[in-house]
Amino acid sequence: MHHDDRIPHFALSPSSGVPLYRQLMEAVRAEVASGRLAEGELLPSVRTVARELEINPMTVSKAWSHLESEGVVERVRGQGMRVASVATDGDPAERRRALLPAARELAARAYQLGLSPEETLAVLGPVLEEMRRD
Amino acid sequence: MTEFPVHVQGLERRYGRKEVLRGVDLDVPAGSVVGLLGRNGEGKTTLLKCLLGLLRPGGGTARVLGRDPWDLDADTKARIGYVPQEVELYGWFSVEETLGYVGSFYPLWNHTFARDTARAWRLDLDARVKTLSRGQLQKLGILLALGHEPELLVLDEPAASLDPSARREFLATVIDHVAELQQTVLFSTHITSDVERIADRVAVLKDGRIRLDEELDTLKTTMKRVRLIGRVDLPRDLSVDGALRVRVRGNEALVSLQHADDALLRQLESTWNARAELHDLNLEDIFLELHHD
Repeated sequence: MHHDDRIPHFALSPSSGVPLYRQLMEAVRAEVASGRLAEGELLPSVRTVARELEINPMTVSKAWSHLESEGVVERVRGQGMRVASVATDGDPAERRRALLPAARELAARAYQLGLSPEETLAVLGPVLEEMRRD
Repeated sequence: MTEFPVHVQGLERRYGRKEVLRGVDLDVPAGSVVGLLGRNGEGKTTLLKCLLGLLRPGGGTARVLGRDPWDLDADTKARIGYVPQEVELYGWFSVEETLGYVGSFYPLWNHTFARDTARAWRLDLDARVKTLSRGQLQKLGILLALGHEPELLVLDEPAASLDPSARREFLATVIDHVAELQQTVLFSTHITSDVERIADRVAVLKDGRIRLDEELDTLKTTMKRVRLIGRVDLPRDLSVDGALRVRVRGNEALVSLQHADDALLRQLESTWNARAELHDLNLEDIFLELHHD
């Protein structure tokens, strides 16, 4: 069964410098990481997502195919894409690597604000704590 | 055979002494949705009309579905759908009569699709054409161009008269339909956000030539703005090879260019004794960078 109610989580900004298919991939990874998309669950169909988000279906296909080649989802014949088992508990090194782009962005922002590495970590620590409590 | 549904080389067209197209090169791959972007008056409509055999080019070559557009046979014409900016139809016909009339010219007209889509787009089948708003007329125009399931769809500023959210919904419906039938689409627009949502390629027409013709994803991945922050004021004539645009203000320089990699950033940092940051550009940014002069 397709979980069409999940589509609104894929909040995209077409007028961003990041290609739409990459934003979609990021959105799915985030859903998987947070557990909102569980192992074995089916992704909404290409057409459903394209219609809902008012974008080109080819963009959605491209995102789904890239996620497949990364092992986040796997193709199920006649049903679509489902969240792969390895995606939720994959290689820790791989998961750390996935965090790098966001970490670089944070570092750049901290630099712009003139914060030292220690000060930056002092901000990050409590945020991580907050997250764990939720 | 891997032939481009639209292939244009060195196309020229002038109106009197005014050169509008000065050597347009453009290939539209099969199954792609290409947004032809340009300011008003850059010649987008002229180019599309040359591709449809409605205007005769002054020079260069054009091939549409493998044929010279100036000499299209009826079979090839039936494989093309075209919606002009201003849709002109018989005002006294009802929507349903118009669908029936236009459909009667095509052996492969899809009546079910036309009627169902008219309803989905909230076009009243009994309404007289002369009572339709501009937006409704454009919808009807597109419906008429889709009804015979053409391989190539050419849209001139589609639904430009609809408000943004209606236009978005409507363009999405069109793309949903063409993606299913794997049709090739070439549409002109001056609205960059429409291109970002539905096109997979973008071609920018400026000063009578195609200045940029790329996959949208590739363009966004490779076109960046480098912000250089020097320790002291940077030279006002600072230049970077291959840059689209360079702006210098005090100790800061903004350089937009394609294919900026780490090596280039390090090189810029050491040349100008500055720190370099990389920023993404959206299509509107890129469009404005191309039009800065």
